[in-house]
Amino acid sequence: MRLIVARCEVVYTGRLTARLPESTRLILLKSDGSVLVHADSGGYKPLNWMTPPTVIEEEPGLIVVRKRAGKTEDRLEIRTAEILSDVEQPMDELSGLAKDGVERDLQEALAERPDRLGEELRLVRREWQTEIGPVDLMCRDCDDGWVAVEIKRLGTIEAVEQLTRYLGFIRLDPAKELCRGILAAQRFKPQAVTLAESRRIHCVEVDLELLRGEREPELTLFG
Amino acid sequence: MDRETTAEIERELDEGGIAAGVEDSPGMKITVARDELVAKLGVVSRAVSSRGTVQVLSGILLSAESGVLSLAATDMELSLRTTLAAQVEGDGAVVVPGRLLVDLARLLPASEVTIEYRPDEGIAHVVCGTAGYRLNTYSAEDFPRLPPVDAQLHAIGRVALLETISRVARSASRDESRPVLTGILVRFEAGKLVMVATDSYRLSVKETELDATAPELEAIIPARALQELSRLSPTAGAGSDTVELGVHENHVVFGTGDAWLTTRRIDGQFPNYRQLLPETFEVELAIARVELADVVRRVSVMAQRNSPLRLRFAEGELTVSAQTQDVGEAKESLPVSYTGEEFVIGFNADFLRDGVDSIVGDDVQVKLINPLRPAILVDPTGDFTYLIMPIRLAG
Repeated sequence: MRLIVARCEVVYTGRLTARLPESTRLILLKSDGSVLVHADSGGYKPLNWMTPPTVIEEEPGLIVVRKRAGKTEDRLEIRTAEILSDVEQPMDELSGLAKDGVERDLQEALAERPDRLGEELRLVRREWQTEIGPVDLMCRDCDDGWVAVEIKRLGTIEAVEQLTRYLGFIRLDPAKELCRGILAAQRFKPQAVTLAESRRIHCVEVDLELLRGEREPELTLFG
Repeated sequence: MDRETTAEIERELDEGGIAAGVEDSPGMKITVARDELVAKLGVVSRAVSSRGTVQVLSGILLSAESGVLSLAATDMELSLRTTLAAQVEGDGAVVVPGRLLVDLARLLPASEVTIEYRPDEGIAHVVCGTAGYRLNTYSAEDFPRLPPVDAQLHAIGRVALLETISRVARSASRDESRPVLTGILVRFEAGKLVMVATDSYRLSVKETELDATAPELEAIIPARALQELSRLSPTAGAGSDTVELGVHENHVVFGTGDAWLTTRRIDGQFPNYRQLLPETFEVELAIARVELADVVRRVSVMAQRNSPLRLRFAEGELTVSAQTQDVGEAKESLPVSYTGEEFVIGFNADFLRDGVDSIVGDDVQVKLINPLRPAILVDPTGDFTYLIMPIRLAG
């Protein structure tokens, strides 16, 4: 990535015409062709930007960024009056944003401690395949009964419907015709709980931090 | 209105129900006092549904008959209805958008309001002085039939009932995923009214002696409905010392003045609160209520983002402190009759404040076991108990 700190004027022409008067700004030229002009205020949003694919032409005192936009052309002219800094910094390979607390994290944590679903369960398999997709956890209870567990961040009616569909297919196997369903989620919509109860699906609220032992549970008068 | 429909309305009124589910009449025309209309709309509008899924529930049912205008609203969990004297020139019923009617009624310029509904147009005309409105309506046929209020009714002392509700209601849960906890356990037993509410972090129990004999009954009633009853009573029940109570299999009826409130009963098993109340304590002391409430309120300002209030009991002194990272901290002491080893316990600031505010009397009796076991605040009279779970303190 190339980072230029310069006193510059920026003129955009295309769907409209806009001009940033001369001032000191940070110009980011990314290897993918993105160009962003930042001020030292205004939050994360650039004052001007151009998304790839772009054509960048440079001559003394001028950087021109062009991009086709249908039959017209978007054009960003950065007229540099003074370059204060101009560095090229190689960056690491792209690695995606690691989000914590997503369904996969919950699935991993519950796969390790299925008993946290409120009963003695032992994991048979993660991602148990059915004809219509994998149910998150397939477990057996202390009586050796089958228990299908679907895990969501938010327990909604759609999640209940999804688990109901899985159970429909799982129960086609005579050995699993009594398979129970558990919907585990960090939060539940009340309507989902009502629907789940009417279908004899047990809803269990789970807390990822508690599952991981990252914090103690809140003290309550009863469970 | 044809004879059959009139008979149906009469039958429903005889049954104590409002004329919901009747056919639209050929025309309804009523004239009422604006101020009284505004007051009565204020009573029923609190049951108007704010959810847009069933449109007719966002309306108020107006039913006119024999010199009386009846108003009703329901969100299917709670219903409110009342009546007012009206000059009725045509009987009938119609559902008018509730919020709209309330808002415009407040602004009407003259002292008398005429509301005329012409079914062929599907429009309600509201005329007041030179102001005129045309409101789109919903059919009264679509309005749900409200639960009857003709159950065996028992008169309960209004002050006792409302005071009991006000003492326990804030401990009820707002988490709809645990419906039982959103209700208040109401039990009448041997000349006594007992109410219990808990959200699993705190629990309030209030026992109130009743002057008159009351029915032996137990029901879990939505806290929201009981709080509505409290709001309703000062105006609708003015001049009446009692609230009528009727218990049906699935719902409960309260009557106060000329207003009726019905609410569904909550199914389920309420936690056995008696088992939750500890019997022995390590620390028991009385603290001046007003002083404690003031200190807790002041220090709570710095208990933000779920930071706990820290109570440190030391020889002759209680120090209440709170700290929120990146915000600041607060600390204040007050003299207490504590002797013994230093004892530190943390509480949710809001829950502690609610507990102290629920106490009536000069002192709060504070009972503690250890920093991880429930603490108890008790009224000087001993008829109100507030159980509160501590928060684990770091370090």
